[in-house]
Amino acid sequence: MAAAPVVPQVKSLICPNCGGTVTLRGYAQSLNVVCEHCTSVLDARTPTLSVIQQFQAKQKIQPLIPLGSRGTLHGVVFEHIGFQVRAIVVEGVAYRWTEYLLYNPYHGYRYLSEYEGHWNDIKTIQSLPKVAQAARPSAVVGGRAYKHFQSAVANTVYVMGEFPWQVRVGESVNTSDFVSPPFMLSSEKTQGETVWSIGEYTPGSVIWSAFKLQGAAPAPRGVFSNQPNPHPGTVGSIWKAFVMWAALMLFALIAMGVVRRTETVFQQNYTFANSGQSVAVPFSGQKTKTADAAFVTPVFDLKGQTSNVKVEISTNLTNDWANFSFALINEQTGDTYDFGKEVSYYSGSDSDGSWTEGDRKASVTIPSVPPGRYYLRVEPEMDDENAARRLTGSGMSYTLTVKQGAGNAIYFLPAFFLLLIPPILSSMRVMKFENERWSESDYGSQFGTSSSSGGSDD
Amino acid sequence: MKHPMFALYAMMLIGGASWLDYKGYSFSSVNQTRTDPRSVRDNPGAYRPIYSGYHRYSGGK
Repeated sequence: MAAAPVVPQVKSLICPNCGGTVTLRGYAQSLNVVCEHCTSVLDARTPTLSVIQQFQAKQKIQPLIPLGSRGTLHGVVFEHIGFQVRAIVVEGVAYRWTEYLLYNPYHGYRYLSEYEGHWNDIKTIQSLPKVAQAARPSAVVGGRAYKHFQSAVANTVYVMGEFPWQVRVGESVNTSDFVSPPFMLSSEKTQGETVWSIGEYTPGSVIWSAFKLQGAAPAPRGVFSNQPNPHPGTVGSIWKAFVMWAALMLFALIAMGVVRRTETVFQQNYTFANSGQSVAVPFSGQKTKTADAAFVTPVFDLKGQTSNVKVEISTNLTNDWANFSFALINEQTGDTYDFGKEVSYYSGSDSDGSWTEGDRKASVTIPSVPPGRYYLRVEPEMDDENAARRLTGSGMSYTLTVKQGAGNAIYFLPAFFLLLIPPILSSMRVMKFENERWSESDYGSQFGTSSSSGGSDD
Repeated sequence: MKHPMFALYAMMLIGGASWLDYKGYSFSSVNQTRTDPRSVRDNPGAYRPIYSGYHRYSGGK
C-alpha cells in the first residue's frame, strides 16, 4: 500500500504590529515574513514575530498568483509563499517587475518572474559560470554560452509573504543578465555574496495552467530579453531551400536551352543607301539587287509545329537611329504579324569621359506562329538629317535574321529576384525581432554600440 | 519539406519562366491581322503597317 502524500501544513501567528493573522508556509526555512495587512517585515524565527521593518506601501499590490496558491511545475507541487516587486531606474524611468517565490519542502525553492506579461521560471545554480570580461562580456555554464544583456542595480520596492533570506524594502543588489534564448543567466551581487540563477522563458499560459488560475494570462508586450525568436529556424532553412530552388532554376534555364531547337530560317544583309533605297546583299554569293524602301524578303519555311519566331536586326549604326516596320506574312493564308522595332546607337565623350547609348542590335519575338511559308515585308526608316552623310557612302548596313523556336530566357531573371523575396522577408522578420530584443539591452541593438536602456527581470 | 508554400511558389516561378521561355513570349507589340499576301508582294510600298513611324529618339546624350 502506497504511503499517503505529505501535505504541508501552514502555521498561523499574530502580527505584533497590527494584530492581523500572519500565515507561515515555509516552516523553519523562512527567515522573514511580511504581514499581508500592514506590510510589516517580521522575524519568522522568533515565536512572537518581532517587527524588523515597517514600511508604508503607497498601494497594496495584488500578485497575479495569490499567496498560498499551489501549482505543479516540472511535475512537482510548489506553493507560492513570497512575493516581491523590484525595480531598476534607467535614465530616470523606473522599470518594475514582480517575483514569485515558490516552495516545496522536498524540492526547495523556485522563482517565477513576470514583466509586461513575460514569465520566467527560475532556479538558482550551484556551479559557477565562466565569465569572459570583454567589451561585451559573455558567460558559459552547463555547456551553454550566454551573451551579456544588461547590468543594473535592482531595488526591492514591495514585499509580501515569507522569504528564506533577510528581505527588506529598499534593499539593493547589483544584477547582471546574460541571455541565450530561451534561457537567461543572472547574477545578483550583494556584499560578499553572488547568487547565480538560470531562468527559462515560459509562456504565461503555462503558469496559468500550472496554478489553475482563472481567466487568461495577460498578453505579453514587446520582446523580452530571453524570449525565443519565433522565426530563427525558418531563416536558415528557407535560405537553404532558396539555394536548392535557385539551382533548380539554373538547371531549368540550361535544360530549356538544350530542349529548345532554334533554327535560322532566313538571313540576309541589306544596305539602306539613301532616299528610300535599300540594297539587298545575299549571303550565299547571289547577285546584289536593289529594292524599294519598303520591300519583301524571299519566302522561307516555318516547319514543324506552332512555335515562336525571332526577328533579329544587326546594324552598323553610329550616332544614328533606324526604325523598322515589319510584317510577317503567311503566303498561303494571309495571316499577318505586324510589328516594329527601333535601333539606335550613340557614342561620344564629354567631361565625364566616353559614353555610349543604345545598341546596334535588336530583336522582336513573335509567339505562337503556325507553320507555313512566310515572307517579311520590311520598311526601314532613318533620319533625313543624316541623309547627306549617307550620300557620302556611309549608309547603314544591316542584317535581318529570322529564327524559329527561339526562346526568351530573360524571364528567368525576374523569376530569380522573385524567388529571393520570401527568404529576404523572413530574414528581415528575424532581424526586426532581434533588434527589438537588443534595443532593451546595454548595447542598444544587436549590431549597435553601447547605450543604456530597458528593464530586467531578476 | 519544411517550406511547402515556398516550394509551391518556387515551382510556379520556375514553371512560369520555363513556359514563357519555351513560348518565346516578349513584351514586343505584335498586332495580328490578315492581308492579301499577293498584293503586298506585288506592291510592298502600298501596305500600311501599324507600327510605321514609331521612332521616338533623335539624338544621343
